[in-house]
Amino acid sequence: MDLKKSYAVMVNDLSEVFSSRAIYMPMIAVPVFFALLFPILTFYISTYNLSGIATRIIGTAEQISSTQVNGAVFMSYFAIYVLGPTFMTMPIFTASVIAADSFAGEKERRTSEALLSTPIKTSELLVGKIFASLLPTILLTLVVFGIYGSTINYLAFKAFDTYLLPTTSWILIILLSPFLSLAAIGVVVLVSSHVSGIKEAQQISSLVVLPVLVLPFASIFGIFDLTPTFFYELLALLILFDAVIIYIGIKSFKKENIL
Amino acid sequence: MTTGVYADRVTKLFRKTVALDKTSLSIDKGMNIVIGPNGAGKSTLLRCIGGLYKPDSGKVRIFGSDPYYDDDARGRVSLLSDNYALYDKLSVMKNLLFFGKLYGNSNAETVEISRTFLKKLDAYQYIDKKAGELSRGTKQKIAICRALLGDPGVFLLDEPTAFLDAASAEKVHLMLEEFASNGKIVIYATQRLNEAARFNANLFIIKRGRISKTLKHSDLYGSILRDAKINIKLADPVNASIANKVPHFEEALGSNIRIKVRNYKDINDSVRYLIDKGAYIISIDYTEPLIEDML
Repeated sequence: MDLKKSYAVMVNDLSEVFSSRAIYMPMIAVPVFFALLFPILTFYISTYNLSGIATRIIGTAEQISSTQVNGAVFMSYFAIYVLGPTFMTMPIFTASVIAADSFAGEKERRTSEALLSTPIKTSELLVGKIFASLLPTILLTLVVFGIYGSTINYLAFKAFDTYLLPTTSWILIILLSPFLSLAAIGVVVLVSSHVSGIKEAQQISSLVVLPVLVLPFASIFGIFDLTPTFFYELLALLILFDAVIIYIGIKSFKKENIL
Repeated sequence: MTTGVYADRVTKLFRKTVALDKTSLSIDKGMNIVIGPNGAGKSTLLRCIGGLYKPDSGKVRIFGSDPYYDDDARGRVSLLSDNYALYDKLSVMKNLLFFGKLYGNSNAETVEISRTFLKKLDAYQYIDKKAGELSRGTKQKIAICRALLGDPGVFLLDEPTAFLDAASAEKVHLMLEEFASNGKIVIYATQRLNEAARFNANLFIIKRGRISKTLKHSDLYGSILRDAKINIKLADPVNASIANKVPHFEEALGSNIRIKVRNYKDINDSVRYLIDKGAYIISIDYTEPLIEDML
């Protein structure tokens, strides 16, 4: 396998995606906006408008002084166990947008004929396209989680004189992100033969987000405890899911699929 | 010696539609025209030869290798499809550099090849423009240049001059003749008889997914003229008794006599008769038959 060709495909796909402001601006601006807005809202509620939801978890925070306990514990709980899983949807959406543009976009723009008539191997093509979706997603995830975490810590330190992040669960949420991206990309590879355009591919791959969206609600209502053990198990499950879906996607991918 | 392009009883289906039906051809060198009406299977045949489509049955070989599975074999073929297949948001140069890398060229090689061919096609001035900003004709020139980046031994072209003006089309024709004369294989799909007649080429006539005839260029007009309608325009109308006796007469419309001929000789017979009867001939035009009619 000639990785130079894969690299050329990756760079070309990224140039296409990032030459269109209409695609990359919402993809970057929306998560960054929420990375700033969510901590501020959490901080506001924790400091000025703490509701009964925090009292549900008060028993876990004896280590924090009694005058700060409600606000700090609520902020920590909300930042990690409610908004953390919400941010896990971001890599799925980002990867879906890029992967759909990369695979189904070739079909829609009718550029695939020229691409596939070159001596590129299917493996070189797939590696290039998968990395074109995965790398910017990982980068954006790190940036967004970085902004989010820094804002949380800054506000928590100002209000409660303590840093809330990182925790093991928080780090595990970040570690899950590439595997969530891969799941979305795998679905795009798998459906690329059955869809006629970018929107269809995006919509189908976005379905991966549904189980993730259950997590914050499950956490609030006490259905799951989002402990590190839970996230380890989720990580293992996701790795297995990715391996299966990418394997099936690659095995079932035929050049004609994107013609 | 291995045949350059070999297709043996190739069948290609799209669901229930038979695009190619046990089509065979064998080409060793030179200029070759695949001519047929819309939907005859020209594009599908080129895509099978180019390794884009896997035939449902039969086999395709390029210098002995299967271009669908053998990436190196596909490297020896270049397909210029009927759409330009350029990345619209990227500049012409970025498009060409990308494809150059896939053909294994260094950037310097791609720049050099691109400069040579784009200058020949009078399109070098667009090198830094985004592909999406170019006219259809210019895109087609860029696509021709892209198809040449891999220095192909077999050049497959699907209606390559559809959007070009006459002068640009002629430049492309000359370039292709040069390739063919250098021992490369050019397979050119068209539905235009005048374009097919332009080349001293082997002609493969395709209809309903099958190559129905193989002709030499010299046979083309013999074939075209079978049942062709020729219009002879006279300076003045001739009377009906003379017109009706014109050999191969079909109808008279004012000073125009229409004849239906089978070969070159029939035209001479009709013209000679009219001259003998004292008619003055201004022009002789033939209405090119529909490609569907000549097959």
